[in-house]
Amino acid sequence: MHIAEGFLPPLHAVGWTVAAAPFVVHGARAVVKEVRERPENTLLLGAAGAFTFVLSAIKLPSVTGSSSHPTGTGAGAVLFRPPVMAVLGTVVLLFQALLLAHGGLTTLGANAFAFAVVGPWAGYAAFRLTRSLGGGLLPGVFVALLVADLATYLTTSVQLALAFPDAESGLTGALVKFLGVFAVTQVPLAIGEGLLGVLLFRVLTTNARPELERLGLLRPTVEPIQEEVR
Amino acid sequence: MTGLAVDDAAWASAWRRRSPGDKLLLCTGLVLCALVLPAWPGSVLVGAVAVALALGPARVPARTFGRAVRWPLAFVAIGALTAVVSVDDGLGWAPEAATRAGSLVGHALAGSAAVLLLATTTPMSDLLPALRRLRVPAAVVEVAGVVYRLLFVLLESLTTIREAQTARMGHSTWRRSWRSTGLLAAAVLTRSWDRARRMQEGLAGRGLETGLRVLPEVLPSSRAFVACSLVGLAGIVSASLAVA
Repeated sequence: MHIAEGFLPPLHAVGWTVAAAPFVVHGARAVVKEVRERPENTLLLGAAGAFTFVLSAIKLPSVTGSSSHPTGTGAGAVLFRPPVMAVLGTVVLLFQALLLAHGGLTTLGANAFAFAVVGPWAGYAAFRLTRSLGGGLLPGVFVALLVADLATYLTTSVQLALAFPDAESGLTGALVKFLGVFAVTQVPLAIGEGLLGVLLFRVLTTNARPELERLGLLRPTVEPIQEEVR
Repeated sequence: MTGLAVDDAAWASAWRRRSPGDKLLLCTGLVLCALVLPAWPGSVLVGAVAVALALGPARVPARTFGRAVRWPLAFVAIGALTAVVSVDDGLGWAPEAATRAGSLVGHALAGSAAVLLLATTTPMSDLLPALRRLRVPAAVVEVAGVVYRLLFVLLESLTTIREAQTARMGHSTWRRSWRSTGLLAAAVLTRSWDRARRMQEGLAGRGLETGLRVLPEVLPSSRAFVACSLVGLAGIVSASLAVA
């Protein structure tokens, strides 16, 4: 759920852009450092961004027969860390605005704050918390993707409520309205994305174990040293 | 054909050879007019100008433009309706609900049409160098360039794998559909890594040391286009302020 072009009042659009800027700049510095030290990682970072864009194009099977699309930032935060996702998420939002007419340019800051900053950080925090409490990789991934999705949806609802407070019940009433209207699609989507993450990482632990070990998500397997047969 | 209708339209547009800077000036001006001018007549003028330019001189297919507007339209309709419904003791309309809803829809649709005018006439590869002029670090622009080039490869993989899964009854039941979707996401991710690794090896063999430098395509600016854009934008601002 991205806020469409022109939907936010000018001051709100500027305010959310200013709020998102430090996180995106921090992420950009991380990307610049990474690319300067290892130029070859430009391609891996590009692949991560392209995957996030493409993941948002995958239709999730739905009980109601309709389809919904994952945000992809939760999986990105677990795989590539939130600072990098602040940049990649913003790039993906720009591409979605200009290639799919999904989101907008003046609302890029507000959407980046929800989709590329709050979502990945909340998801990653939930992942680390689950892991530190003894949860396995797959429960951690489920919680991370669920929380990332819900945090994005909550933030967007807050942004809309601040922009359009209810005439009678003020900010609280407006928040209840926007949360209620978008809950119909966003809550099942969050659960669906969590499930997709479990299926995705289950396959990856088998088919792409070296990559997950390199990203620090799995401990390297120690090959048993075979005794020399005399 | 790249698989994304807006991108296809941008490459085929009659304005493809126009300077990206000229188009950015016109479209950014329209976007700002849609945002700050009163909905009547500002948004109506911006929307009409953006659609007329896209379907007229830029020769963007009406079907592509119309289909692309559907995305923001759904959000705008639900969002505007929610904003003008009042909840206190029960549901009711907020004061001046129709005016507020009309204003919201007007600003959003006019702004979306202006963004679409830019999107359907300018490929991303022409716009990315403009980010450098906005002082976005070269490394970030390079990563964005790789994202743009890779996403079509991955979208093609996505379509192919999904077709293969469907042909093998991978989406015949709800349970199988979920399993197939998980496998699909994993296959796309591992393919993206594989593609990046192979590209990196190829570029390393050609001496990749200081970034992905490519020769930019020079598209000269047109004074007539810039002058017409500025006169048109000034006309929209004047007309809006005069009527409002």
